[in-house]
Amino acid sequence: MKKIYKYILIIVVLGAIIGGGTVYYVFNKPHRNIKDETPAYTYTAKDLYKEYSEDEEAGNMKFGDKVIQVTGKIVEITNENNDISFVLNDEMESVNCALDSMFIKNNKPLIENYDLGGDITLKGKCDGFDMIMGVVLTQCFIVK
Amino acid sequence: MKIKLIVLIIFSFIYTEAISQKYITKTGKIEIFSQTPLFTIDGVNKKVASILNAANGDIVASTLVRSFRFEEALVEEHFNENYLEPNKFPKSIFKGKIVNFSDVDINKNGTYDITIAGKLTIHGVTHDISEPGKLIVKDGNITGTTSFNVSLQDYKVKIEKAYKKAIKDAILLKIHFNYKLYKKS
Repeated sequence: MKKIYKYILIIVVLGAIIGGGTVYYVFNKPHRNIKDETPAYTYTAKDLYKEYSEDEEAGNMKFGDKVIQVTGKIVEITNENNDISFVLNDEMESVNCALDSMFIKNNKPLIENYDLGGDITLKGKCDGFDMIMGVVLTQCFIVK
Repeated sequence: MKIKLIVLIIFSFIYTEAISQKYITKTGKIEIFSQTPLFTIDGVNKKVASILNAANGDIVASTLVRSFRFEEALVEEHFNENYLEPNKFPKSIFKGKIVNFSDVDINKNGTYDITIAGKLTIHGVTHDISEPGKLIVKDGNITGTTSFNVSLQDYKVKIEKAYKKAIKDAILLKIHFNYKLYKKS
């Protein structure tokens, strides 16, 4: 009899540890690490816009939620409350790249080096295609 | 006669310029909030685009669902993968107008109480909405703010059975747009 109780106790305790551990993990799960993710695609801003705008649905399937590395000319820089975005390629055919907030905090001088008309390479998560903003990338990091 | 003609041309040019004034933002903010004992949904999207037509008060706003970021990675994952199904419905869009735009003088600094009405599309479902808000005019810039609840059920947001009771149906949206006059370069 005693042996069974012992086993039950072990199972219950094990169960509690696994259960507790799972709950802890689930509630403290880390965010997706865009910074260290290898880009699924590398594109020029011009080509990325072209491909996406020609077939939005195909673009969503191919690029949606993927990390993309994009290179292009800066045509607009927006800065609102220290949230900075680089708009690439062309105002009417743009790839809008919002910088990652942690990256902004730690790289102010680097970011200030980039001006309108200059080239930039960024890596970020593709959120989709917007009628006003064009191709939207968020959580972006400057590659060069 | 010639002078009259010139004045007329200049006047119509200015008039055309004035009525084709569009205000734009590509960094509009939407915060979403809902709290129950088990779950706090606290998210923000800072990539909301909107155009306000100062000629008639028309507004369009659009954003990508995936641009929402949440404190808790778990909530972010659920929101993005399941609830709003962004792979099927990547965007949320509003098309409407400021109903009492004639009460607003965009050339005069001030805070104006406004009513915004139009069609809101979330998760592929469109509903008519009408909500109060404020338009703050300051030195040529316009800020629009509004705050209202949306019902998850109304937009057929898919919450798993297990969490249905844990998440409140009404989600608070807080919207803040800083518009700038759109200048064609």
